[in-house]
Amino acid sequence: MATGVEEHVIVHVHDGVGLIRLNKPERMNAIGALMRKQLSDAIKQAERDDAVRVVVLTGSGRAFCSGADVTEMVTEGGGGMRTSEDVGNVLRNEYMPMLTRLRTMPKPVIAAMNGPAAGIGASYALACDIRIATPEAYLLEAFVNIGLAPDGGVSWLLPRMAGTGVAYEMFFTGKPLSAVDAHRLGIVNRLVPADRLEAEVRELANHLVTQPRQAMAAAKRAVNHALESSFEEALEFESYLQESQAWSPEFAEGVQAFLARRTKK
Amino acid sequence: MGYEFITVDVEPPIATVTLNRPKVLNALSPELVGEVNQALRELDADERVRAVVLTGGAKVFAAGADIGDMAERTAVEQLSRDQTGRWVGIAAFTKPLIGAVNGYALGGGCELALMCDMIIAGDSARFGQPEINLGIIPGAGGTQRWPRTAGKYAAMEAVLTGAAITATRAKELGIANKVVPAEMTIEVAKRIARQLAEKAPLALRMAKEAVLKAFESPLAEGLVAERKSFYFLFSTEDQKEGMRAFLEKRKAVFKGR
Repeated sequence: MATGVEEHVIVHVHDGVGLIRLNKPERMNAIGALMRKQLSDAIKQAERDDAVRVVVLTGSGRAFCSGADVTEMVTEGGGGMRTSEDVGNVLRNEYMPMLTRLRTMPKPVIAAMNGPAAGIGASYALACDIRIATPEAYLLEAFVNIGLAPDGGVSWLLPRMAGTGVAYEMFFTGKPLSAVDAHRLGIVNRLVPADRLEAEVRELANHLVTQPRQAMAAAKRAVNHALESSFEEALEFESYLQESQAWSPEFAEGVQAFLARRTKK
Repeated sequence: MGYEFITVDVEPPIATVTLNRPKVLNALSPELVGEVNQALRELDADERVRAVVLTGGAKVFAAGADIGDMAERTAVEQLSRDQTGRWVGIAAFTKPLIGAVNGYALGGGCELALMCDMIIAGDSARFGQPEINLGIIPGAGGTQRWPRTAGKYAAMEAVLTGAAITATRAKELGIANKVVPAEMTIEVAKRIARQLAEKAPLALRMAKEAVLKAFESPLAEGLVAERKSFYFLFSTEDQKEGMRAFLEKRKAVFKGR
């Protein structure tokens, strides 16, 4: 990145893990126009980069992401969102491809929820494949509090993860769902103390780096296909996916390793 | 015969025709279309072959025509090249033609896919008619075959907006028969072709003809044609074999007679 340009997103690739860190802690990592651009680039690059086998999305400071930068929307030239049509266009043209990419890229994406995830920030957390959160974190669909409707895919994601009751309560009341409750509901996979978050996420990410990448990618394709299809269609899609996986070197190696372990006993 | 822009693999009882201009995403030059036409003519005559798979390979089906080649052409030049007229032979193929579509099937590529009798779509498949963005319209059947399969409104959306649709959407619209993982598309299409190849060839031919007739004629006329073919098939050895085998609880062996 050119010097002099603020880094609202920091990318760090190490040992197969691509860490994407939202980096505007003084604004609780609120997403403005510059961060949108940088985050979009970072997510695209993480998908493309073969050296990245697992992606971790997290925030700097106290928050995961406090949502769209509303302050920027009303000042600083609107951050590309001067009219209501701009709002729609930013959702369609910028957020939509990014969130879709997180859900469909052929590698695991982990949200390390170091703090609150509100509005579009919650969408990013929910679009990831796995969530690990600290007890201080929460999910907030605050749209209703400022007279807006849910966006960023949460109308699709939340009912599927927690049922319509939980989703509606969040959408109607605009009150946060604590990480503890989200964990109880299965939205958050693991709850860990703040000082353990980084280690816990690193441990999981490092483990996934060693897992067969094509098999994990296939799991993601299967789930994404299944979410849009009937049981029978899902079974059939799985069967073909399994066939192609069954003649992959990953499977051959997996069987070898399995047999070797068993003979060792 | 040898081909430059396609490959033809005959593995009796099926054959696979693969568009093979990967550097230009299988852009449909008149020469390529001519070769597909020629290959299908030969395969139609080849008694060993009972069903054919048409594919663009693992990555892309065909991303339209050669725009660079067309940009400065006049209407008369375009007419005299009769690029779309060359497709008539593909539509005239009498055996089952299974399209195996991965990646982009755009413009002429989409129209070529729509000429197939069944379409197996890889999850990477994208179907679209982007011609409108170039100031033209589909010229090889897109405006006619889309509404006949996907209906008026989906067809209008496709040809007026130029936006491509996903494999899942194509299946919803009835354009794709199945959505499978992209690396399995060609294999699944071949299996279906092999299954069809076990059926009575004359019945397959009459069945295909009758279904296609539905797009060309009023119902009463189509029903008459269907009935004539139905009666005709009772004059074939395969009908006798098929029914006897059924009664004897064994597998029929069809000979195309």
